[in-house]
Amino acid sequence: MSEQAAILTEKLTKHYGNFPALVDLDLEVRSGEIFGFLGPNGAGKTTMIRTILDEIRPTSGTATILGLDSHAQSVEIRNHIGYVPGDLAMYPNLTGRDTITYFANLRGGVDWALVETLSERLDADLSKKVGDLSSGNRQKVGLIQAFMNRPELLIMDEPSSGLDPLVQREFQKMMREVVADGRTVFLSSHTLSEVQRVADRVGIIRHGKLIAVEGVADLRSKAIRTVTLIFDETVDGGIFVGVPGVRDVRVDNHHVMVSFDGQMEQLLGVATDAHRLLDISTQEADLEEIFLTYYEEVQA
Amino acid sequence: MLTSVFTKTVRDRWRGMSIAVVALGLGLLLAMSVYRSFETDVFSKLPEAFRSLMSIPDNADAAAIAIGILYGLYGAFTLAGLAIAMGASSIAGEERDGTLGLLLGNPRSRTSVLGGKLANMTLLVTLGTVVVVAASYLVAGVLGVQLGEMHVAAFGVHLWINTIFYGMLACAIGAWTGNRSLAIGLPTGLMVLGFLLAGLLPLIEGWATVPKAIPWYYFDGSDPLNNGFSLGHFAVLLAASAVLAAAAVIGLNRRDLKGQTTTTSLLDRLRENPMTRKIADRLAGSIRVSRISIKTLSEHQGVFVVAALSMFLIMGVWMGPLYTLMDDLLLEYAEQLPEELWAFVGSGAGGMSTPEGFYEAETFGMMAWIAVMVMTVTIGARALAGEEANRTMGLLLANPVRRSTVVLEKTYTMVAYALAVGFATWAGVWLGSLLGGLGISPLNIAATCVLASLVGLVFGGFALLLSAATGRVRVAVFGTIGLTLAMFLINSIAILNETVESLALFTPFGHYLQNQPLSNGMDWGNAALLSGVFVALVAIAVYTFERRDIRQSG
Repeated sequence: MSEQAAILTEKLTKHYGNFPALVDLDLEVRSGEIFGFLGPNGAGKTTMIRTILDEIRPTSGTATILGLDSHAQSVEIRNHIGYVPGDLAMYPNLTGRDTITYFANLRGGVDWALVETLSERLDADLSKKVGDLSSGNRQKVGLIQAFMNRPELLIMDEPSSGLDPLVQREFQKMMREVVADGRTVFLSSHTLSEVQRVADRVGIIRHGKLIAVEGVADLRSKAIRTVTLIFDETVDGGIFVGVPGVRDVRVDNHHVMVSFDGQMEQLLGVATDAHRLLDISTQEADLEEIFLTYYEEVQA
Repeated sequence: MLTSVFTKTVRDRWRGMSIAVVALGLGLLLAMSVYRSFETDVFSKLPEAFRSLMSIPDNADAAAIAIGILYGLYGAFTLAGLAIAMGASSIAGEERDGTLGLLLGNPRSRTSVLGGKLANMTLLVTLGTVVVVAASYLVAGVLGVQLGEMHVAAFGVHLWINTIFYGMLACAIGAWTGNRSLAIGLPTGLMVLGFLLAGLLPLIEGWATVPKAIPWYYFDGSDPLNNGFSLGHFAVLLAASAVLAAAAVIGLNRRDLKGQTTTTSLLDRLRENPMTRKIADRLAGSIRVSRISIKTLSEHQGVFVVAALSMFLIMGVWMGPLYTLMDDLLLEYAEQLPEELWAFVGSGAGGMSTPEGFYEAETFGMMAWIAVMVMTVTIGARALAGEEANRTMGLLLANPVRRSTVVLEKTYTMVAYALAVGFATWAGVWLGSLLGGLGISPLNIAATCVLASLVGLVFGGFALLLSAATGRVRVAVFGTIGLTLAMFLINSIAILNETVESLALFTPFGHYLQNQPLSNGMDWGNAALLSGVFVALVAIAVYTFERRDIRQSG
């Protein structure tokens, strides 16, 4: 399985009536990576996941998971995957343990020692009814059922919602262990910081269209960074507009913050041309800024 | 805020009420046009108690018969059923959905929110009743039927307060407990039982006044269609409704609100007890979730206990001794009645003159298949659409199970419950027959119970099909109830009118009591036909479910 793509979609399209939820989505998620799938609410992330899992049927296009056709071989596929849906809902009258047992029975071959280990690592209470659990504790049960069969591919839609920071950290560790084991994680999220911490590559989706697929490192190497210039007086930010590489300018008193991916020499030239520059600092942009930059470009 | 609670609830609920009153109006049109051709003298000769049971007024003409039967039975049940659903959903339903906390997060008191809900229910019931009454005059006018001295408007007022009473009762139970199932189940049980007892108890010598303890008595006990408005009876139900509304306010204000509700089953309680924990853990835990069908089985145990016990004790065991207590004169008189009349109450046998006929009229005519239907339609409608409404279907199908497997597993549960209710009915009727010394053949009882289960399964299969095709619980439930009422009405009319007799064969009821299985034993042809229809419906459900998108809401 390691040679083939974990997920491969070709021209995957899904319309709800006249509304295009997914448009010609071509995506390859490689085996053995954590792939972050980013996009704002309503961008089409969940529709894409539901389509490749055969919950809903594509209007056109195809998808394969682990080399298997997402529709014709959907049952076989589900032997090899773990899934955490967005807006996770389970059976409120079953305890966490009953819920896990139910899915373990449907799936078969689940190692209960692993379930116990996962439960301990996530500090999950499996003795209470799911309906009586807080959303975070309910999410832990969802994570356990997804990880418990050592899936070759984990597909998770906003899996961290409700988890406290300590559990989030443990969860990220669990994802890294999965890829260290040669398996794959597909992580859909709008929590950019989480994706930034764990993902190898990210795909950015908007209005059902895949805008970009990049390695996290490549994105960063695009050198979008925040440059903070400190002057001895208030400066009109407009002087930086038009400088190659300047994407966004904010002025706060004597401080000018610029999102920038161009030649520093040109920026400094403008900065020192008619003003007295007291200090300069640069900071590597996080995915949030890169992400927003992408959107602004597409919107423009 | 009160206005918005009110208007939102109107928006959520008006459709169900509209469909119901239009269906009732069309039903009346159909029934009245058929009854116009009858020789109505036979109805005027009926004993008082029978007329009361059937809501047929004195000096009845065809129009009155249609109005009395259609509105006195179907209309009252339909409107009260809707009111119960509205009342139960008003507080307990919002709690179940986890939306009540959000609603009360706004700066309005619990009382004002409840007030908005009750005002909405009252408005919709009032509008529904007005339309239903207006339809009587309209249909009679269109068909040129003289209503004469019929007090249709007075009957409408009784219908209105009866509907309000059951809605308030459901709301009060929901407000006190936060348990929507209880808020639906108890008033429905009280209504059905009240209807039966209010009709049956006067048939027993010396028991004529007992029905005064039953709410249903104050709906039609004074025969408002015939005698006009009864202030006393109206006042009783009005006062009771006011007390229930006040109780709802008190109940809601004095307790903690629930979040998403979880139910506590008998097994859960045993699980909490150290003495029974081990065995209960196996039953409630590993066994309960061992497969989809068994898990589904465990989810409906509460409804099953009520349905099975009702059929066993009340409609089974109790009916035997009751038959022996009944007034011999009434039974002799009943023997003279044309058997077509018993179509009104669903019986295909010769009225109440024989124990078999009595059981067919009272237990098997309606109650047996309704009890089975409660199980099969609940499971069928919720089987797929319920999982989608609860957003659990995606997670379920993320496991390596086929969609067809999910449908079939749920079907197994439906069949198991249908047979179990049938078995409870068989055991009750057999015991009732023994206690009353009636000598009904246990094999014939079994045959009738199997046919009742199959009728329930056909409608459950239809609910499953709607659930599979649409993914919407409401469509599945109300679509099936609508079909059932239409089929029952068609069957009743077909029995009454020879020219359309063959229509009965297109309904499940035409293959149920038609050949009097309680007297004559199993009709294997009917059993095979009903089974075949059920299997076909399930097959279409599988085909449909395999080919559509899974919904994420109901």
